[in-house]
Parts: sequence; C-alpha cells; structure tokens
Amino acid sequence: MKGLVVQGISKSYGNIKALDRLELTVNPAEFMAVMGPSGCGKTTLLLAILGVLKPDEGHIWIDGKDIDELPLDERNIGYVPQDFGLFPHLDVYENIAFGLRVRKHAEAKIRDKVRELLLIVDLGGMEERKPKELSAGQRQRVALARALATGPSVLLLDEPLSSIDEATKGEVRANLKEIQKKTNVTTLCVTHNPEDSFQLGERIAIMYSGKIIQCDTPQGILDNPKTDLVRKLVAPMYILWNRTGPL
Amino acid sequence: MLASAVVIYMLVSILYLYAAVGERWNLVVSALFDSRVLGAIVISISSALIVGALAIAAAIPSAYLLAYKSFRGKGALETFLIDLPQTFPPVTEGLVYLLMFGRIGLAYTYAAVLIAKFYVSAPFAISFATRRFREVRESGLDVIARTLGAKTSHVLSRILLPLSSRDLLAGFSLTWARAMGELAATLVFAGAIPWRTEAIPTLVYLTAAEKPEVAIAASVIAETLSIVALLLFRWIARKGS
Repeated sequence: MKGLVVQGISKSYGNIKALDRLELTVNPAEFMAVMGPSGCGKTTLLLAILGVLKPDEGHIWIDGKDIDELPLDERNIGYVPQDFGLFPHLDVYENIAFGLRVRKHAEAKIRDKVRELLLIVDLGGMEERKPKELSAGQRQRVALARALATGPSVLLLDEPLSSIDEATKGEVRANLKEIQKKTNVTTLCVTHNPEDSFQLGERIAIMYSGKIIQCDTPQGILDNPKTDLVRKLVAPMYILWNRTGPL
Repeated sequence: MLASAVVIYMLVSILYLYAAVGERWNLVVSALFDSRVLGAIVISISSALIVGALAIAAAIPSAYLLAYKSFRGKGALETFLIDLPQTFPPVTEGLVYLLMFGRIGLAYTYAAVLIAKFYVSAPFAISFATRRFREVRESGLDVIARTLGAKTSHVLSRILLPLSSRDLLAGFSLTWARAMGELAATLVFAGAIPWRTEAIPTLVYLTAAEKPEVAIAASVIAETLSIVALLLFRWIARKGS
C-alpha cells in the first residue's frame, strides 16, 4: 500500500518500553499529526522511521516497500527537526540545494528546483542569506524547502512550531499546511501541543506509553474519545476547536 | 590576587628572555646569519609544518572514528591516541623509536625528527578535531544531511570539515607550536646533526653551557616565531569565521 505504514514496532531502553507494538498508517498525501505528552515515545518513533535507531521488532513500509534494512540516506524521507537544523555555513540557496548536489543533479536542474521551492515557501530574494539572518518562521520554511527538494516519499516534522513565538504561530501554521497541500507529500508531524495537532492534522494519532491509543479526525476524537485519558489529553480543544474550528 | 600572580608568572616567563637580551640585539641579528642557527631554524619550521599537516591528516579519520563509531575499547583508544602521548616521557619515546627504527636506518635522519615530533604533538590536533566532530554529531546536522542522501564522504566534506575548520586550524597551530618546542624525543632518536636533524631546542640545549649567547639568540628567534605564528593562526581563524 502507498503512504507510510508502521507495523507493530517496539523499542526498549533497558526496562523502559519507548515503543510498544505500535501500529500506524498514514495515507498518501495525508497530513497526520501524532500527539502525546513528553516521554510517550514520539521522538523514538521518528528516529525509528528515519533509520537512526533500529526497532527491536516490527516493520516500516513506505509506498509498499519494506525499509527496515535501508540505511538513512536511501530511505527517501524528508526530515525537519525541532530546531530546523539548517547548515549554518551555507546560505539559503545552498541549504535547499544540498540534497540535489549530493545526488549529483545537473546545475540547471538544481537552479530550477531551488527557484520553484523558494516560490512555494515564499522566500524569493533571500537566496544569499545565512540561517542566522532569518527569523524562526523563515528558517522553518527553508528547512521545509530543503526537505522537499529531493522529492521525498514521506515528510517527518518534529515539533515544527515549538521554536515559533506565539505572535506568529498562527501564520506559520497556516503556511505549513498550505505548503503540504501544494506539494501533496505524505506527512507525519509529532507534537505535544493539542492545538497544533488539531490545526495541522487531517487525522490525529494520540500516543501514550509507546502506543497509539486512538487515531481519528479532529472532530472524531472530540466527538468519540475512546478513553478518559484521550479526553483528558485533548481537553483544551473542547473549547478552542469549537471556537476556532479548522484552519 | 592569585590570578594576578599567575598572570605575572606567565608574562615574566615569556618576556624575561627579551629582557635578558637587553641591548645585545646585534647578537640575535648576527645569529640569523650563523649557518648552524639558520639550519636549526629551517629544520624546526619545516618539520613543525610537516608534522602539523600530518597531524591534521591523521586527526580527521581518528576524530571520525572516536565521534561516530561505537565499539568496545573506545575509551582506551582515546586515552591511547590523545592522553598517553601527552603524559608519556618524550625521552623514553625517543629511546623506543631508537630501538624500534634504529636497525632500519631511520635514526639520525630528518624522518626521525618528524616521527619523534609527531608522537608528542599530534594529540592536540586529534583532540580538537574529536571535540568538534562530537559537537556536530550532537547537533544532528549529519543525520539531516544523510536524510537528504549524503554518504559519509559528503558528510565529511560538506558538513564536518567546513564546520570544523576553525578547530582544525587551532589544532594545527598547537601541534605546530608543540613540535617547534619538542626536545627530548628528537634529541635521542634524531640526534643533532646541523642542517639535517638539529632543531632550535636541540641547538639551545647543546650550546647553553659553551656559547650562551648563541643559545639566547636562538631562543629569542624560536620564541618570536612561535608568538608570531600563533597570532597569525588566530587571525586566519577569526577571518575565516
């Protein structure tokens, strides 16, 4: 099947089970938010999908292909970490072009692709700026453009709004969703913030103690929380969601 | 108070030599035209530069190994590569090399100067590179580069080395300075053959009793060279950043 399928993966650190036979399916072009409190295993899930750590059991499939044995550089996954991870010694253009250069694309193709992405993320004219000369929102858009440049099968976002100040968060969130819609890339975003997950995710997977305890649309979760724990975790949204609704 | 005493101690240690020369600067200038002193300067500078370059070449793969690979005995290897050469008595190391390489004709050659200086100096470059590579690894930038399709060679050439250039330069400059000042291992293993193996420290050691004016002049030249070189390396590093 197309999209991202996580099938029964587990990972333990000593006696602590960070992932416990976790099951998750992200449909092609879907924006899936994984929401859960700190320490529930969200980061471990991302690292397992990326290939940074090897699960103790289970399988991960991307577009129908088992990627368990593939090294990091062959998984074709776009990744935007919490701090955006821009290469500080490279300007905006070279950051976005990085993946294309190491894959030995022709210079003309690199130029066209970077220009196209700069337009998508609305950063035209900033090609020569270094990361330290950009705002947090701009840095995030560069990181997104860089992750999308190589045409990834899946995009992974780690707490994408945690470094953004409250005043601009709404705008950045809207941009993020718009860029994902434009590029149609299958996206998995982990966050501890209920509002971010409800505003970004077409579906939300609620994670707790290394498991997905409910996966549904935002409205579905509010209408039918499976357990009291789910109700408690999304409690702020009963007021916020009814007031603001989706973006 | 104690800090002031330390500062004064350090300053006096550096500046006293210039005070000792006093008004006899003509001695230093004339030493520059002395063939033996000139030979020692050439051997010192050239061998320290080569050792610095070799140390950087060795530091990059060593630092990558120590920063990125997990294996049993890694801590012991790090001690072996970085700490031990700095604590091991250089004179003993010179004797080890003499016993080891003497029979194959390497003793008392220019290569012996390089071998002796490398052992005691290279740990500076390895230590600086390892520390910086670990910082880059902790930032996760190499993981991001790999998700974009970068192989190890790309991570090294496009991420690790550009982000470590200042630290590598700092490691080079300290290696260079340590190699310039190395005496015991070089003297035992390479001897003191003018224009072949005699460096400034060996010249100073051998002439201090009989011709103190030559020793002082050579020391002033060595100290000035070290200060100028360190300032130059710092300036390059600042300009690079």
